[in-house]
Amino acid sequence: MTTRPPSGRAQSRGLIGLLLVAVPVGLFAWMTVWPIISGLVQAFTPTQPNGTRPFSPANFVEFFSDPYSLSNLGVTLWTCLVTLGLLLVICIPLALYLRFAQGRLAAYVQTMAMFPMFVPSIILAFAFIRVLGPNGTVDLLLNAVGLPKIRSPYLTPWGPVIGLVWDNIPLTVLILVSGLGAVSNQAVEAARDVGARPLTLFWYIVLPRIWTSVAVVISFTMLGLFSAFTLPYVLGPASPEMMGPFMQRTFGDLRDPEMALTQATVTMLFCIAFGIFYVRAVARNRGK
Amino acid sequence: MSKLTIADVSKIFSTTVAVDTFSLDVADGELVCLLGPSGSGKSTLLRMIGGFETPSSGSIRIDDEEVIHLPPEKRPTGMVFQSHALWTHMNVFQNLAFGLKLRRRPKAEIKERVEAVLDLVGLKGYGSRMTTQLSGGQQQRVALARSLVLEPKILLLDEPFASLDQHLRERLREEVRDIQQRLKITTLFVTHGQDEALALADRIVVMRDGRVEQVARPDMVYREPATPFVAGFIGTMNLIDGTVANGTFSRASFSVPLPVADGPATLAIRPEALSLTAGGQGIIHRVTDYGTHGLVDIDLPDGTRIKSMISDAKAFAAGQSVDLKPTAISAYRDNAVIYRTR
Repeated sequence: MTTRPPSGRAQSRGLIGLLLVAVPVGLFAWMTVWPIISGLVQAFTPTQPNGTRPFSPANFVEFFSDPYSLSNLGVTLWTCLVTLGLLLVICIPLALYLRFAQGRLAAYVQTMAMFPMFVPSIILAFAFIRVLGPNGTVDLLLNAVGLPKIRSPYLTPWGPVIGLVWDNIPLTVLILVSGLGAVSNQAVEAARDVGARPLTLFWYIVLPRIWTSVAVVISFTMLGLFSAFTLPYVLGPASPEMMGPFMQRTFGDLRDPEMALTQATVTMLFCIAFGIFYVRAVARNRGK
Repeated sequence: MSKLTIADVSKIFSTTVAVDTFSLDVADGELVCLLGPSGSGKSTLLRMIGGFETPSSGSIRIDDEEVIHLPPEKRPTGMVFQSHALWTHMNVFQNLAFGLKLRRRPKAEIKERVEAVLDLVGLKGYGSRMTTQLSGGQQQRVALARSLVLEPKILLLDEPFASLDQHLRERLREEVRDIQQRLKITTLFVTHGQDEALALADRIVVMRDGRVEQVARPDMVYREPATPFVAGFIGTMNLIDGTVANGTFSRASFSVPLPVADGPATLAIRPEALSLTAGGQGIIHRVTDYGTHGLVDIDLPDGTRIKSMISDAKAFAAGQSVDLKPTAISAYRDNAVIYRTR
């Protein structure tokens, strides 16, 4: 068997293909890979009083020995986990309803579930303040019927949780409804036929089929929540604060870019963990 | 063994009547086929018996116990779906054991019953296989076994072989018939394949637009169809619209004695009940040789095409003029039989 050398036309087509790929790859390297490497290098080479930058984990030692930084990391993790839990509790029943219900009401519910996608976070934050903030609509209504005011979640850790849950409902519902497309009506009916009641049906038949979608929701949501800024900044407490506002304040107000980079590196490590979880879930699904 | 009684069951979807005052008694151990074209309401009826649809009116009783208010999980029925509906994240054993686990049966009993039913459907030793590793026929056997393992009083099969090829379909329907007769389980089988119904059923219910056209033994449905629809739906049938005058039915050059009152009539003649002789009633359009027999298409002068089955295809040729001699006929008027040769 003989192999023919590629013709000039085939070679030029290959070159065009490489050029087309080169643009996004170059942008990715410039805008993402380089800042990561640069940030890691800066975080691990703190500037000494004499102006030198030897390799040292001192910035990370400082971060993990600082109670305020740790409480900020703690509140970020707490917010992410509580938000994720609430999202799953709210969105799984909603997605199940949208998947299996028929008729006009289901269409209205779907429209309502997608609505937050079209509301900018800042508008949502101010709507939240007007409704749930001190002397907001809820307080006014309670006052009108002679009831005491609520303990407003505004400027407490629950403020960002409520805002982030509302903000993340559309994407979560979309991912789950898409996953539920893999569950056929007949598979559900077959389970009911052999005696499965709703909860058993969900646990043994539906959940195993949508597990990949749930894993995608977990990883996407956690990645998004870790990098959330507007809602934690406007609705959350000043202290402790989530990593987003903390990094911005360290960088902008305290003018300490090295520590801000250290905080970003710690945040990135958590995000990488969820990124790996996502990749594994998708790979496992492809392998099936 | 159990009996099923369906009385005046109707199902209306919005403005569409899917099933219209349907009544049927199915005896202990009987296999009844619901046969009809798409949209005739047969699957809707089966789903109402299984509890997946709620009837708009009527009553469904199993062993004289009303089940209409019971959800599917509480009905003593087992359903086999067209698409198998196996749970692909479970292996064969887990698919079969799921219903027994929900009933909290002891592990040893579950193992014993699952293995017994796998043996029954010819899948002994397949318990650890994932359902996605099985062929279409094996998947359908697993679906059947999943229903049988729970020992339902009524077995419901909704076009279970529709997605399989012809050869496999024929083999599986024989197996289903054998299993059904061995277990003596009362069975309702939905199909739109007439050969499937004729081969399987103790009785056939022919449905059209949600109504019963005929309920009878397969041979009776074939030989003595109650309506022109049944006559046309089961097997190949020449349905010839014409007029009766003075005891003779006529259509173009074709006529045959028909001792009924004058008026319009539809004549039904099976191709095998129509012999040909040399003459001038029609001209042969085509002769198809099937080896065992021949099928002759004859055109009447007005364009009406009639089929005749002959034993020797070489006896006739296209273009030849022939006379048509029916040996058995049925005649219909106003959707009812007015005459039938014995």
